[in-house]
Amino acid sequence: MSRDATDLTDRRTLLKLTGGAGLVTLSGCLSTTDDGGDGSDGSDGSDGSDGDDGMDGGDGDDGMDGDDGDDGGDSMGPYEIGMVDSLTGSLSAFGERNQRGAEMALGRVNEVGIDGRELSIAVEDSESENQGGIAAAQKLVNQDGVPFLIGAVGSGVSLAIYESVIEGTDVVQLSQNSTGLSLTNFPGLLRMSPSGRSQSLALSNIIAEDGYDEVAVTYVNNDYGQSLTDAFVNAYDGEVVYNSPHDQEQQSYSSVISEMNSSGADAWLFITYQAEFATMVNEAFSSGYEAQFYGADSVSGDSVLENTPEGSINGMKIVVPSAPIEEENYQEFASAFESEYGRQPTSWAAYAYDCVINAALSIQAADEFTGAALQETVRRVSGPEGEKVTSFAAASEILADGGGPDDVDYQGVSGPIDFNEDGDPVGFLQVLEVQDHAYEGIDFVEG
Amino acid sequence: MTVLGYLANGLVFSSIIVLGSIGLSLVYSIADFANFAHGDTMTIGAYAALVTFGAVGGLGGAVLGLPYGFFIALVVGIVAAAIVAVGTEKFIYEPLDIDSIGLLITSIGIAFIYRALIQIRFGSDFTRFDIQPLRPIESLVPFGVRVTLHDIAIVGSAVVLVVGLHVLLQYTDLGRKMRAMADNPDLARVSGIRTKRVKLWTWVIGAGLAGAGGVFLGLFNQLSPRMGFNLLLVIFAAVILGGIGSVYGAMAGGFLIGMINQLTPFFSDVVEALPIWPGWLARLLESLISIEYANAIAFVIMVAVLLVRPNGIAGEASS
Repeated sequence: MSRDATDLTDRRTLLKLTGGAGLVTLSGCLSTTDDGGDGSDGSDGSDGSDGDDGMDGGDGDDGMDGDDGDDGGDSMGPYEIGMVDSLTGSLSAFGERNQRGAEMALGRVNEVGIDGRELSIAVEDSESENQGGIAAAQKLVNQDGVPFLIGAVGSGVSLAIYESVIEGTDVVQLSQNSTGLSLTNFPGLLRMSPSGRSQSLALSNIIAEDGYDEVAVTYVNNDYGQSLTDAFVNAYDGEVVYNSPHDQEQQSYSSVISEMNSSGADAWLFITYQAEFATMVNEAFSSGYEAQFYGADSVSGDSVLENTPEGSINGMKIVVPSAPIEEENYQEFASAFESEYGRQPTSWAAYAYDCVINAALSIQAADEFTGAALQETVRRVSGPEGEKVTSFAAASEILADGGGPDDVDYQGVSGPIDFNEDGDPVGFLQVLEVQDHAYEGIDFVEG
Repeated sequence: MTVLGYLANGLVFSSIIVLGSIGLSLVYSIADFANFAHGDTMTIGAYAALVTFGAVGGLGGAVLGLPYGFFIALVVGIVAAAIVAVGTEKFIYEPLDIDSIGLLITSIGIAFIYRALIQIRFGSDFTRFDIQPLRPIESLVPFGVRVTLHDIAIVGSAVVLVVGLHVLLQYTDLGRKMRAMADNPDLARVSGIRTKRVKLWTWVIGAGLAGAGGVFLGLFNQLSPRMGFNLLLVIFAAVILGGIGSVYGAMAGGFLIGMINQLTPFFSDVVEALPIWPGWLARLLESLISIEYANAIAFVIMVAVLLVRPNGIAGEASS
């Protein structure tokens, strides 16, 4: 017992001693920190800018004040806009292209800056699904409070976001890749890629010109597939002998392929996505079916070529929204893109690039960083009025010299943009043919 | 396409579903929870085989249009799926020590982790084994059957695995212990069966079969991080249809669901040909029995079977 008691006392003493020593050490630390803090301006400065960040997040008006002042620019945090992208899911290939385009555009914007402030993009994943897209947009708009939202890829996702999050607010929504026809019915929902209606018309003309008066169509069972197919059926002069939807991400499409074959049509039109199309091609190949294939833009891509047998889709014709690849600014974009990422850009990357540049210009042209102010400028900075410029730096210079949004006409790398009253851009289409298992451009069609 | 052709397609698709559903049912009967990570275990098997096949290559010869290297890859896929499943059991499910609902929810999380890891390593795009796809077997085409040698290899391998499992369950010591444990785990334990060890073997077998199913699914279709998860609903339907917990029921259920899925175009032809009266009923049936509802039709049949036999095809009268 006594021995234990001694132990206990000893331990207590030790603890006291240690505690005391610890306190002394800590206080020493504290004083040292204080001294250091006073001495070095750097740490104070960063504290200050943190405070500003908080203000930006909390209230857009504070950002406006800094903007008007134009002098405190350096101390202000970046302008934050949101982006909903398909980082995963069946459209993730588009998401990857978008990220490259957006990243490059962001680099170019921040080389120049917007009135001395930087632009930052908060990216959220839509998982290529409506529900994921809505959740992502809600996070960006309601929690982060972004006044400008780039999104989304899939047309159904873009519409779902618009109807459940954006509609009724001042937030600007600009879809980077949606080509679904029904987006035209929502003038408040802007998009950078041209409507699919032009694709459907072009496809119906091409199939008729090739001499097919019967066609079998299968489309992906969503808004995009349905609307493009409806437009095609309306425009096509011949007979649509088979017209059936299929669900995304099924593990087998052999029923679809065998029904298309039984329909007797020699021209097969696919309005679906890459993974689904690749599966169908493989199943058609291993079932020994032969037909002339046609496709909407969403069935083209390197992953289709890599994952289908050599020669299985030769002669297939695809209509894709195309960037004006003969223009100088596109070629400059393409070579910069290639040196950055080691590959040729796609139109999809170009659309995302233009979305970011267009957003940055509308922010610079606006009086304040709010949705209402950006609504005023987003169409005008790239609209047909004003001096035609092809880069953010040139456009930004005009705005910085006191120019208004109508003094600038940003010509995008994906096309002249020029949103119409429905929020659709002017675009044009390229007809691709698969030759030796590679895509070759054979024609251009006005969109 | 003829009935024979649809039946052949159904057989190939069923083989893959059967491989998946056996494992799910086996784990349910012995580990006593519905493992939602089962689909992603299939994905792991497929990607492990993809990596192995990329590393070893074809190795010269080929059987049934498949290079020797592919069979090595298949084995590696099976082993990898088994190792991952046993590891998960050892480090997560077992230490958790919660009831079957808790384990079920945990397994959903595990499924996301598996998928995310695959996505980090391989990206979210789809890919295929680097094997030249084949044309259909010429001599069968006149019968309307359009299957390739690969399809025959899938069915053949599935049959070998299923028969192997049957032999294991019926004629080996381990099989007897597994069946004893499935019937009554407490009684099995007091009779001296090392239940933990049997449980581990169950995971090895169940996940191994899932891995094989995943590899064949990749060969049949393509590989993508969501491939297994997308098939999971169908596999669950198969297991429930067969009578959850019953291995032979899972075989029957998987076979039936796969067949119904692939036979839908035939059903819709039949409905169109039948003189159904009145006309509105014919139109209704024609619009409902169509391939975009293939899975829904399979589920309706599942519900119908369960109404007659509430415990599934092979389920016992009382649970």
